Amino acid sequence: MRALFLAPIAIAICLSAPAAQAADSHDIKGLYLMTDYPAVTVRPGTTSTIPLRLQNYGLAPERYQLSVTGVPSGWTATLLGGGQPVAAAMPGPDANVSLQLRLDVPKNASMTAQTLTVKAEGQGNEASLPVAVALAKELPAKLTVESKLPSLRGSPKSNFEYTLTIKNDSGRNLVASFAADAPPNFETSFTEAYGTQELSSIPINAGQSKDIKLKVRPPGTVDGGHFPVTVTVKAEDATAKTDLALDIAGQPQLQVAGRDGLLSARAVAAKQTSIPIVVTNSGSAPADNIKLSASAPTGWKVTFQPSTIDRLVPGKDTEVQALLTPSDKSLAGDYMTTVTATSRGDTASGQFRVTVSTSTVWGIAGAGVIGVALLLMLGAVARFGRR
Amino acid sequence: MRREGSPFQGVGAVAVKELADNLSSARMFVLEWLIVLTALAALYSAIDSLRRTTAQDPFLLLRLFTVNHAPLPSFVAILGFLIPLMAIGLGFDAINGEHNRRTLSRILAQPIYRDALLIGKFLAGLVTLAMSLAALWLMVIGLGLIFLGVPPGGEEVARSLAFLVIAVFYAGVWLALAMLLSIVFRSSATAALVALGIWLFLTVLWPMLAPAIAQVIAPPDPRYALLGLQTPDTGIWTQMLSRISPNHLFSEAMVGVLSPTTRTLGPVFLEQLRGAVMGAPLPLSQSLIIVWPQTVGLIAGTIVLFVIGYIAFQRQEVRA
Repeated sequence: MRALFLAPIAIAICLSAPAAQAADSHDIKGLYLMTDYPAVTVRPGTTSTIPLRLQNYGLAPERYQLSVTGVPSGWTATLLGGGQPVAAAMPGPDANVSLQLRLDVPKNASMTAQTLTVKAEGQGNEASLPVAVALAKELPAKLTVESKLPSLRGSPKSNFEYTLTIKNDSGRNLVASFAADAPPNFETSFTEAYGTQELSSIPINAGQSKDIKLKVRPPGTVDGGHFPVTVTVKAEDATAKTDLALDIAGQPQLQVAGRDGLLSARAVAAKQTSIPIVVTNSGSAPADNIKLSASAPTGWKVTFQPSTIDRLVPGKDTEVQALLTPSDKSLAGDYMTTVTATSRGDTASGQFRVTVSTSTVWGIAGAGVIGVALLLMLGAVARFGRR
Repeated sequence: MRREGSPFQGVGAVAVKELADNLSSARMFVLEWLIVLTALAALYSAIDSLRRTTAQDPFLLLRLFTVNHAPLPSFVAILGFLIPLMAIGLGFDAINGEHNRRTLSRILAQPIYRDALLIGKFLAGLVTLAMSLAALWLMVIGLGLIFLGVPPGGEEVARSLAFLVIAVFYAGVWLALAMLLSIVFRSSATAALVALGIWLFLTVLWPMLAPAIAQVIAPPDPRYALLGLQTPDTGIWTQMLSRISPNHLFSEAMVGVLSPTTRTLGPVFLEQLRGAVMGAPLPLSQSLIIVWPQTVGLIAGTIVLFVIGYIAFQRQEVRA
């Protein structure tokens, strides 16, 4: 069963092998000057580079003089090889030499199409390549940037992360640098799509695209609203822009303090004391259903009156009574008690220093003991006195 | 036969005469110099160590009383040891001395009741002690001003005044005991010996005996011993037994009054300390509440011992 299934694949491999061999062993001979795109469009006022190849099929190595003809006046055409201007090339048998034709087109060049001819002349062999150059004011974008999710929503405390795709259509390897224009005090940083390293530029191969991530952190005090962010990507002469947006929903921010900011209180052991507590919402959205709780020393009882606040609009405060009963075993002195206000979006706590005094009941009992001793003395005087 | 008039008539005369006798007696002179010199030495070493080590302290004056600098104990510890000696010195021959000099009948032949004689003698002794202690107290404040150069705050003065009052009643306990013994024993030497014996027993032996007795009453739990802790029951019993000694009451009261950070004098459980802010000084009123039981013990002890002596004296045959 399995052998049957594999049989057609084996046959296909057998058939394709001679075909591939045939393609490799061509019977072309001679010298050729080649380029991938013999007709290009450039923008006046820019410099373009056209890659060329001088291919030698089966000829002996020879020196070939290079020249460009048909260059319109005002234009500059330079042949580059290995990064510098060259005037001759020497490809080995069945090898090629890479060349570049650099064209400087003046700004005021007429918009008619031109044909330049690149020639390579040797002893008996020669090759020529006409390159048609059309001029256009606007060229298709060489660089694009786009975001799949250009508008995000969150709270002032959340991180806004946009995934941006930068595509290099320029036909050259580029190093794209990027910048984000955000409202003041918004923190922006670019990182790799799957990494934490911050970036300011990234190399992109011709025709490829890369993903980067933009993180925007709004300031914690920001009010709710719609904030635009513009990302600009630049590479050599190409620029691309995309508009992003943050929709920030306001958030409540609670604060707990005593009345007049007082964070200390007095209490008597085993007696209930009422401490006024002010809960303030200094955030940008109303806080709903604020629950109050306290963490107090062992054996203490703390309740709140009322125990929940239904709604607190921003910029307002409300007063709550904390009913605090220190344990009857509490020692005199200072204790720390933390009061926490929790709403759905935020939590805040305040530390109160409670000075506990002990009951004076035993003090009165002590005075009673002394009184009894004095009575004893008076009794003794009355019974045994005046002798 | 019912006698007429106030039983306290003549108290003033007796007290003034006794006070004059006390202040001019050679015995008092020796005792006072003993205390003053020892206290001075303790104070000087305390000032010395305070000037060298203390960076900042809100209760600098109070530290003078409590700081000890080896080999000398602190000022308060020296007072706790020597006040009984002074009180015994003043009281051990109060009544039997009169007997032995055969002056008792003569005094009582004046229109003075025994009540007045005993109360007058006791008050004179107490005033003498209070005067010496007040002098010592002023000496501490004065030396503190001179050598530390820091004026004492209101609360410090109030706390040191509380120290003075408690010290006077501590002296009162021993004075009342010495007078009781001088009533009970006809021989001054016996009274002095018994008083000194009780003093030595309560200050030196009792602190060693109390834990031993407590361990008999409440044997230590080996589980606590393994953790290096004291068994709570044993600790409580030790403390309760120790408090029989006025010396212990006095030292506890001094800790409460002169160290404002003291929060309790009894045993403390860990759960009582949860959430507590350590090292914060207590207000004066709270410190006074803490030491009030000790103070009550000293005051009531003074009165009760005096009343026992009073009853014994009233029922005694004095015409011998």
